Amino acid sequence: MSFELIKDILIATVPLLVIFPSLFAFTTWMERKALARIQNRIGPNKTGIPCTRIGLFGLGQPAADGIKMIFKEDIVPRGADRLFHLLAPILALIPAMLILCFLPLEFPWGKFMSAPVQAFLLDSAVIFFFAISGLTTLAIFMAGWASRNKYSLLGGMRAVAQMVSYEIPLVLSAVVVVMMVGSLNAKEIADAQTGFNWFVFTPWGLAAFVIFFIAALAETNRSPFDLPEAESEIIAGYFTEYSGFKFALFFLGEYIAMFAISGLAVTLFLGAGDGPFLTSAPWLSVVWFIVKIFGLIAVMIWLRGTLPRLRVDQLMAFAWKFLLPISIFNILLAGLSHFALDARVAATSDAILYSIHAPHTHSGAVNHAPPKLVAGQKEAVMGALHYTDKNWVGAMEWFFKAALKGHVQSRSILAWWFGIWAMGLTVLYVMAKGLDNVSRSEVKPREYLYAE
Amino acid sequence: MTQEITFWVLAVIAVLGALVAVRRRNLIHGVFALMIFFAALSGLFLLLLAEFIAAVQILVYIGAVGILLLFAIMLTERVTGDDARDITSRGSFWGWAAALAVLVFLLLPAIQSADLAQTAQPHIPSVKALGHKLMEPYVVTLEVLALLLTAALIGAVAASQGGEKTKEDSDDA
Repeated sequence: MSFELIKDILIATVPLLVIFPSLFAFTTWMERKALARIQNRIGPNKTGIPCTRIGLFGLGQPAADGIKMIFKEDIVPRGADRLFHLLAPILALIPAMLILCFLPLEFPWGKFMSAPVQAFLLDSAVIFFFAISGLTTLAIFMAGWASRNKYSLLGGMRAVAQMVSYEIPLVLSAVVVVMMVGSLNAKEIADAQTGFNWFVFTPWGLAAFVIFFIAALAETNRSPFDLPEAESEIIAGYFTEYSGFKFALFFLGEYIAMFAISGLAVTLFLGAGDGPFLTSAPWLSVVWFIVKIFGLIAVMIWLRGTLPRLRVDQLMAFAWKFLLPISIFNILLAGLSHFALDARVAATSDAILYSIHAPHTHSGAVNHAPPKLVAGQKEAVMGALHYTDKNWVGAMEWFFKAALKGHVQSRSILAWWFGIWAMGLTVLYVMAKGLDNVSRSEVKPREYLYAE
Repeated sequence: MTQEITFWVLAVIAVLGALVAVRRRNLIHGVFALMIFFAALSGLFLLLLAEFIAAVQILVYIGAVGILLLFAIMLTERVTGDDARDITSRGSFWGWAAALAVLVFLLLPAIQSADLAQTAQPHIPSVKALGHKLMEPYVVTLEVLALLLTAALIGAVAASQGGEKTKEDSDDA
C-alpha cells in the first residue's frame, strides 16, 4: 500500500467525517430553536462560552449535550444480548456515513491535489446509495431485538415494516431522473442539471421530488412518520434501553442519514452544486450543495413542529395505496411526455435545417450565398441545438426568442412545452385526488365495551 | 498488492461469516453472520469491478432476503437456541462426504476447465452494458420474469386474504 493511496483516501474521506458531524451539532441546535419558536418557547439560550455569562443564543448546547452523553452511565439490561446491544448503534452509524461518499460533493481542494473530487465515484452510485441506506433497518431491528424489551421490539418491528415499505416509492421516484439522464452515476446526474436545468422544474420531476421527500421522511423516521420512536405510545421505541454514548451514536446516525438522503434529493432533483456565480467562483458549488441540504432539513424541522403523527394503518395504506401507484404512474408519464417533446423538437429542427439548406444544395452553390433566414429561424436552430445538449432552459429561451420574431414552428414547440406541463400537472393532480379517495384506510370507530 | 490484501481479508471474513451462520444455535446471530458473509461477497464483486452486481448483492440479499429471514425467524418459537448443545449429528459423516464430493467432482473440474481471466477487465460502464443487454437480446426473458413476479405478488395478496368469507364468518366478526 503506497503512501499516495493513503493520502488520497484521507483527502477524500476526512472532509466528510469532519464536516457532517459538525453540521450535525449545528442542526440539533437549529432544530431545538425552531421547534421552540413554533411552540412559542425560547429554546436553549443560556449555554454559550463556559464560565462567562455570554449566551451566544445557546450555541453551546450541542457541546454540553455531547459532554453529558459521554460521561453518562452505560446501562445494559440484564436479559439483553450484550454483543448486539453494543453493535447496533455502531451499525446504525456506518451505513449513514458510508452513503455520504456517493454524493457528488466537489471540495475545492480536490483541484489542487491529485485527489478525487468525490470520495467514491461509481457508475452505479445511485443504486449503491439505496442498497447501503437500507442497512440502517438492520441496525434498528438489532437494537430492538437485543434490548429484550417489549417496547423496543415493537419499535424495531414498526421501523422495519415502515422502512421496507417506503423504500419502494423512494427508489421509484429516483428512477424518473435516472431515466432522463440515462445514467446511475451521481456526477453525470449532477452535470446534466447545470445552468438551472434542475429536474424539479419539470412536471414529472416535481412530482417525483415530492414523493421522494415524503418517502425520505419515512426512511429517516422523521415526524410525521416517527412511529418507531413514538414517545406517547412506546416510550422511545427501539432505543428505549439505550443511554449515554450509545444513544448519542443513534442520534448521530439518524441525523447523518438525514443529511445523506437530503443530499441525494439535492443531487437528483435540485441540481446538486448548481447555482448562481459559479463561473466566477467554482468553489461555491459545495456551498450551494450544503445550503440546499439545509433548506431541506429546515423543511423537515418545520414539518416536525406542525404535523401530528400518523397511525400504523394510515402509514401502510399511504405507502402502498397512494405513493406506490402514483410513483409508477409518474414514471409512465415522464417517459411519454419526454419522448413526445423529443420527437416534436427533432422533427421541427429537421424541417428548419431542410428549409435552410435544400434550395441551395441542388443548385450547387452552397457556400457562395449565405442562405436567407426567415425571421426567427436562426434562434429556432439554436434552440434545437441546445435541446439536443439537454439544456432545456437554454433551448426554451431560444425558442421563445424565435417565437417572438414570428417563427411559427417555435411557437408550436413552446405550445407543446406548456401543454405538457399543464397536462402533466393536471393528470398527476387528478390521479392524486382519485388515489386519495381510494387509499384512506377504513377504520370503524371503536365500540365501547363499558357503558358510561 | 493492495488488491491481494483486500481479497484475502474479504475472503477470510466471508468464510468465517458462513461458518458462524451454520454453527450458531442462536438463529438471530446466525442471520446476521449470514449478512456479514453477503457483505463480504459484495466486496469481492466490487474487487472484480462488477459494481452493479455488488450493489444488487447488498440490495437483494442483505436488504430483502435478510429482512425476510428475520421476519420468518421472529415467527418461530425458541429464537435464541441453546448454544451449549452440540450441533453435529450422527449423519454428519455423510454430509461431509457429499460436500467433498461436490467440491472434487463438480466444482474443481469446472474451475480448471473454464478459461478465466487472470485480472479484472479494464473499466467499462458495466451498468450501461447490462441495461442494453437486458433491453435488447433478453427483453422477452425480462418481461416473462416480470409477469411471473407480478403473478406471484397477486397470488401472495390473494393467499393472505384467506378464502372467501362465508356468511357465518362475517356474522362472527
